[in-house]
Amino acid sequence: MENNEKQLLKEFAPQIERTGVQGYIWILFLLSVIGLGVFAFIQQVTKGHVVTGMRDNVVWGIYIVNFIFFMGVSYAGALISGTLHLFRTAWRKPVIRMAEFITIISLLIGPCYILLCIGRLDKLHYLILHGRIQSPITWDVIAISTDIFGCLIFLYLAVLRDLANMRDFEELQLPKWRKKLYRVLALGYTGTEDQKKRLDRATNIMATMVIAIAIIVYSVLAWIFSVTLQPGWHSTIFGPYFVIAAVYSGSAVLIVAMWFFRKVYHLEQYITKKHFVSVGVIMLVLAAFFGYFTFSDYLTKWYGSEKNDELLIQLLFKEFYWPFIISNYVGVLLPLLVVGIAKLRTITNITLTAVVVIIALWLNRYLIVIPTLQSPYLPIQDSRPEWSIYSSTWVEWSLTAAGVALFCLLFTIASKFIPIVTVSGNVQETKPEDVLI
Amino acid sequence: MKRNIYRIIVEALIITLLVPSILHAQEKTDSNSVQQSKITFSYLCTSNDSVCLTANLFVKRESDTYGLKNATIEFFSARDNKLLSLGTAITDQDGNAVLRVAINKLQPGKEGIISYQAKFSGTPKYSEVSADFSAEPAKLRMSFNVQDSIRYLNLTGTREDSKGQEVALAKETVILYVPRLFSLLKIGEVSLDDQGKGSFEFPNNIVGDTLGNLNIIAKIEENEKYGFVQGTSTINWGVPKQYYKAEVPSRELWTPIAPLWMIVTLIIMLAGVWAHYFYAVWELIMIKFTGNNDKPTL
Repeated sequence: MENNEKQLLKEFAPQIERTGVQGYIWILFLLSVIGLGVFAFIQQVTKGHVVTGMRDNVVWGIYIVNFIFFMGVSYAGALISGTLHLFRTAWRKPVIRMAEFITIISLLIGPCYILLCIGRLDKLHYLILHGRIQSPITWDVIAISTDIFGCLIFLYLAVLRDLANMRDFEELQLPKWRKKLYRVLALGYTGTEDQKKRLDRATNIMATMVIAIAIIVYSVLAWIFSVTLQPGWHSTIFGPYFVIAAVYSGSAVLIVAMWFFRKVYHLEQYITKKHFVSVGVIMLVLAAFFGYFTFSDYLTKWYGSEKNDELLIQLLFKEFYWPFIISNYVGVLLPLLVVGIAKLRTITNITLTAVVVIIALWLNRYLIVIPTLQSPYLPIQDSRPEWSIYSSTWVEWSLTAAGVALFCLLFTIASKFIPIVTVSGNVQETKPEDVLI
Repeated sequence: MKRNIYRIIVEALIITLLVPSILHAQEKTDSNSVQQSKITFSYLCTSNDSVCLTANLFVKRESDTYGLKNATIEFFSARDNKLLSLGTAITDQDGNAVLRVAINKLQPGKEGIISYQAKFSGTPKYSEVSADFSAEPAKLRMSFNVQDSIRYLNLTGTREDSKGQEVALAKETVILYVPRLFSLLKIGEVSLDDQGKGSFEFPNNIVGDTLGNLNIIAKIEENEKYGFVQGTSTINWGVPKQYYKAEVPSRELWTPIAPLWMIVTLIIMLAGVWAHYFYAVWELIMIKFTGNNDKPTL
């Protein structure tokens, strides 16, 4: 371990060793929200899905919206961390760990919403026993499980050096079990030339893989929608559109995480305005792409004048007017203005813009799922009027809040286990061309 | 200080877990009191000399309604302030109780109108409730003919007068349906003339069963005097249904195996990805074996 790494660990030691009163209050608050979610879940299990707003016609509600959102954030984390790693971006070290955490935590939470949405969990194993390769749902199950394994391996490779540093840093006042855990997880890594080369090679390969898998897996998720003939879903650009929207939302989540940990752990020295502007520029470029794809998708639908597409667009501009405006206008234009104009480019402004982008992108997923199900090709007949319109219930909102709280809680726990900023940053890395080929 | 914090956390967790249970228990306690049950009563005169009486028994909780299962509903016909029992029916899981009664068992009142009542006597948990309905029995009959290659469906609506004679059901609107997979498809409307007759040019593009048979339902709906009247008939005027059979394996649910290209693509992709995973794990294993846990770098 080099001296500057020791110095860094010394600085991070208090955050890893102790949790302050504010920290406990924060954890308690998150646990309370998760507790509310557990209560809502019990209500749903005992009373059935009637406690949700999902009915015969709108069979997908905000659970699916949350699923798409969390999966998107996860893939974005994978794409950003993988790309930053592969291109050896100079400013990546303070933010790449957060991107890696975002990837794996979102990936663990996202699929839970599918389980909440399924009515008969007792028949879940049928997906394995009777899964058909022709079904996009089967593609999704295969893709997500493959992605989880890949991201776990990538995260482990990425933190291995720091795990060894934690093991070797004897000044850390930690319980024995944690020391032992670091020793086991560090896999005997001592930084020999052979180990370095092997680790770099494996990390580079996995960084390439997580980028490729993230694109494929989120495209598969988009295809679940686009291979159907439903108005608003049947679109050839849905795959790339979903991928762009995912990375866009993920870059915004990364900015918010950077702001949060910078404040809480006083990382002003490591996470500077430069990092916010750099990730902000990524967000700006993605905003432009997202706007382009959105416009292209709706323009072709509107110009084609297909009856059901027209009805859907009318619905979006009437019943869903404000969500549509926030999602597709505010969510696109705000980053362009705030990051694009130098005077507006402050840490606070970029963070606030990121929050708006997160809300806009969540609404974007809502607008993809709900209005289409409310305007199907076959007319809705013999149904109660209130069943043809979706209105989410407190149970769904509680479980949504619980998901966000769980995300924050796992992020907090992860930051207590390993430094939120990569410590092994000053170690000379092998050049990518040496290890990729 | 630290102990206090732990105490606060433990107490808060207990409260978080207990409050919902207390609320739930409160809800349960409230549910011990007698709940206000509600009933809806519908009537259908089926044109085959019987009427179908349907009562739906339910309770309202919060904003949702729940049907009451296994409740006994007694049906009556009322005449001169006297109730004549028609029979009883047990509600199903949706709270529906259905009773079919032959028209000749019913005693019409003045102007041929028959009054019905559906009654739930109540239980210690659910309150007593009843609903009434009055209607004059009527019939709809269908006949079919072809004229100059055009198919016609002819409708005749009748009712019985006070002497028991059939008289025309004049100036009523009849809606025609054919049953589809999930619900009834409306195919047209017919207005009956003064003689209670009407005609409808039958479309030639409605899909029937494999033999082309179509069930046709004629309905008078929500009529002030006659309530719901329905007549049914079957005619071989539909387009015979033909089942599509894929010649080669495709993506359909009923094909035994996925297309070859899909299987090959999936295998190549998964093999490629997992091979890289195994390689990365192999490198980790090699790191483990080339390192030494007991020799820290500090």
